[in-house]
Amino acid sequence: MRLDRTHRPWIIWTAALLVLAGLAYFLGGRSLHNGISGGSIAGLIFGAAGYGLMLFAALLSVRKKFTRWRIGRAQTWMRGHLWLGLLSYPLILFHGGFRFGSGLTFTLMLTFSMVIITGIGGAVLQHYMPRIMTEHVGYETIYYQIDRVQAQLAQEAEGLLSWLYRKHAHYGLLVPASEKIHASATTLVSLSEESGDHLREAYESTIKPYLAQRRAYRHELYDGRRAKALFVELRKVTPAPLADVVDGLESICTEKRDLDRQSRMHLILHGWLLAHVPLSVLLILLGGIHAVMAVRYG
Amino acid sequence: MSSPAQDPVDVHLVIDGRDITVASGTTIFDAARESGIPIPVLCHQHDETPVGVCRMCVVDVGERAYTAACIRKVEPKEKKTRPDEPDLVVKTNTDPVRAVRKTVLQLLMADHPTPCVRQRNTKDCELEKLAHEYGAIQSPYPHREVTRGQDDSSHIILVDHSACILCDRCIRACADLRDNFVIARQGKGYNADIAFDLGKPMGSSSCVSCGECMVSCPTGALTNKETIHHQFEDGVPCELEELRKMPLFDHVSGTFLRFNHGAVVKRHIKQGEFLFYEGEGGPTAFYVLEGHIDIFISAPHGHVHTRERSTALTSDMHTRLVGKHEHQREGENLHITHTAVDASMELSQEDPVARIGPESLFGEMSCTHAYPRSATARAATDCVVLEMRRNVLDALRKNKTFRSKVDKDYLEHTFENHLRKSSIFSSLTSGFIQELRQKVRLGQYAPGEVIFRQGDVADAFYLVRRGFIKVSEAYPGGELVLAYLPAGSHFGEIALLGHSKCTATCSALDHVDLVQISGEDFQNMLRLFPEVRNHLESICEERLRENQKRFDHVSGMPVDDFLRQGLMEAQSLLVLDLDNCTRCDQCVKACADAHEGVTRLVRDGLRLDHFLIATSCRHCKDPLCMVCPVGAVHRQRSLDVIIDDSCIGCGECAQNCPYGNINMHEFTRALRDDELALLGAGQQRARKAVVRKATSCNLCHDRKTPACVYACPHDAAHRVTGEQFGEMLKK
Repeated sequence: MRLDRTHRPWIIWTAALLVLAGLAYFLGGRSLHNGISGGSIAGLIFGAAGYGLMLFAALLSVRKKFTRWRIGRAQTWMRGHLWLGLLSYPLILFHGGFRFGSGLTFTLMLTFSMVIITGIGGAVLQHYMPRIMTEHVGYETIYYQIDRVQAQLAQEAEGLLSWLYRKHAHYGLLVPASEKIHASATTLVSLSEESGDHLREAYESTIKPYLAQRRAYRHELYDGRRAKALFVELRKVTPAPLADVVDGLESICTEKRDLDRQSRMHLILHGWLLAHVPLSVLLILLGGIHAVMAVRYG
Repeated sequence: MSSPAQDPVDVHLVIDGRDITVASGTTIFDAARESGIPIPVLCHQHDETPVGVCRMCVVDVGERAYTAACIRKVEPKEKKTRPDEPDLVVKTNTDPVRAVRKTVLQLLMADHPTPCVRQRNTKDCELEKLAHEYGAIQSPYPHREVTRGQDDSSHIILVDHSACILCDRCIRACADLRDNFVIARQGKGYNADIAFDLGKPMGSSSCVSCGECMVSCPTGALTNKETIHHQFEDGVPCELEELRKMPLFDHVSGTFLRFNHGAVVKRHIKQGEFLFYEGEGGPTAFYVLEGHIDIFISAPHGHVHTRERSTALTSDMHTRLVGKHEHQREGENLHITHTAVDASMELSQEDPVARIGPESLFGEMSCTHAYPRSATARAATDCVVLEMRRNVLDALRKNKTFRSKVDKDYLEHTFENHLRKSSIFSSLTSGFIQELRQKVRLGQYAPGEVIFRQGDVADAFYLVRRGFIKVSEAYPGGELVLAYLPAGSHFGEIALLGHSKCTATCSALDHVDLVQISGEDFQNMLRLFPEVRNHLESICEERLRENQKRFDHVSGMPVDDFLRQGLMEAQSLLVLDLDNCTRCDQCVKACADAHEGVTRLVRDGLRLDHFLIATSCRHCKDPLCMVCPVGAVHRQRSLDVIIDDSCIGCGECAQNCPYGNINMHEFTRALRDDELALLGAGQQRARKAVVRKATSCNLCHDRKTPACVYACPHDAAHRVTGEQFGEMLKK
């Protein structure tokens, strides 16, 4: 989600609520000897409001689960999650009089801070990453199909190379003379058995392992420049009728690189949720415990 | 389409005292064959171009020398002394003619190793058979002193040069039928023989061992060394001797049948047993020897209709199976009353069942083109059928005698139904159809062959018997496929209705059999049956209006752009802004939830700038989804695909659509009594059968906020008009 002009009403309303809460905090604090604390009426109101906003933010995941429910567009819920969730943090700070306390309250505040930090980080990532992904991943596919597409690429490469493994007793290597090696060409040209050795060796030692490996971020072919250099070298030592094979392999490696890049970006784009979601669950849980304990024993 | 001036004219022949009328250009051999008069031949087989080298088919036409019947074409006589004088009088079996043939046979037998390998293996060496018939087994001429030898270098085929009669059948089979060009003649005169490449042993040549030469050889010069043992799940493999006794295999090479051992099995089917079910794959064809088979469609007639179902809190889409009379869609053809199936018949959509009897062939399209079975076949009585593989069917179809029989059956049993399939022709009287039956021409077209081009002068009306016709229109910048017409369809009527020029190009997608009704007969039909004319005229007017509209729309613009523009024309586009989209697939999940678990949205497709346009139909230039075994898939006026009620749920269209825009939906229906009877006692509780139907998605075009847009948390999915999308692109 991009944080663009469409968010302006939410920003204005959130800021207005924050100003109002701030005013209430300073005006209310003046009338109290030790200022606003968690146990004071004003503090309890801030705490209840802050926890209420946290619960609302957490309900986004429930909203996402029940897509058929017509209870407001998911986009509205997401914006509420973002801005009201953010607003809950100052409200809780007002609730505790900017004190983190100790024990449960300290843990609670620490968790809350981490939830807010991961949330902001996530929002920033979701602001920039989709555009980067659109620009840099030419062969994007559906994330869950990446494995399948990569397997198809590996298979395609095997098909391209299959000509080099069929050695004919009399003619050495027989490869199609047509421009497109995939075509069911009927004209074949004969090459010496050794002419495909370099290509075969490069395929076996470098290209094949790269295509077989999922998320091969450390492989030399994942680096576009090194991959280009390898194919330039390969073209120099490969006979002309096999040029199409080299082109085909390079194109396959480019697509594979894009898919790996997409995997990596996808992980970045959604990986922060691995921290944000469990911390949020923990926060709601600890917040509930804190509320019960404060009301009962405070 | 040829102009009327080039049309063949009828020629009157008298062959062995029998009056015969054929089209000019027909060979004497074919004219005799069609009339059941046998003329012996060695160098010619039905699917090859005749060359007339063996001289066995010589006949007496009253000229100075005898002529080879296989190459002599009959033409109208220029000067006749009386009007009823025949154009040609042919004698095929006089003593002098037989004497010439005997001499030819004796000369050939002088060099022939009797019995040759084929005669030993399959007892059907054509030369020895004829030599027996003409008493020429013992040749008075001296035998060759040094044998020409054998070549056993190939793993598949044994070449016995000494048995070769240089008929060239193998050469034409290799070059004309298979485009391999491996075999040729080498040497001259008495030293001539066949050679592979430039005289290499067959095993070292570029021969691909397709076996066409072996199948074409009339003697034991090319025979099989290996035998393929075909396997079937059911049935008893037919042995060569048994097959040779069946008239169906009269002209099929014994070498071929021996090579393909087990490719034909005999099956005894008990009454009520099923041979196959609609929608399933099946690489075989069937021929009924005894008994009767019911061919029917069990899928209910109807299409998938999705409508919104809302409650106070939820909203989803409810999918139902409805008939076209209950829910009619734009562009749906309501005139079709019959469904074409893979047999020599069509099934009425009201009561889709028909019965076929002995000597009927069915399942050809599934066998030759791997289409799913278009109907279910069940034994109506205890019966015996032959089940055969594709290569056997191909061998049968090459034979003109067999084809003539199939054509005759078609004209007698199916033609009337075929014509009446469309409600347009329902008013034709049986008498008129009977008259028409005598006049129609039946033609075969190879894949890719053009029947007529857009702009050609029209001179015939066509019915599709077998295969698919590709109908395309030329537009600036490209060709747009409008339809794939399946068996049972008709075309060519627009041009004949006074518009004279063909409005589209029609070509064969695969092996196509057509019925051609001449322009004259068609006009005669319109004159006699004004209601047919009125009906056709109203359809043609509508179609011409659509054509004009489409042409106006795309003129001056490449067709690719038009198709893209088609999106811009849309009232309701579903656009994903990839700069906002976090690829969370909430939209896909919401779509699946709303449509009973089957998502119709694939988050992949046409990209313009940073927008991805989800489309229900890509308006493909060549939409292969329309290659439907029962012809249920058509283009709408908007160029979208529509799947009509006759869908049998085979899934071929969904499989062919490269974009996954066709979905299969499952419904249940009550089992019929005969189906219940087949179930065991323990299964009687299962009273419902699952029915599958295909549907193409409309991306909830009728809803302002579809589930995917409503569920997108990132403001990435939008429902916009073409204009709004243009504005988005400008920004």
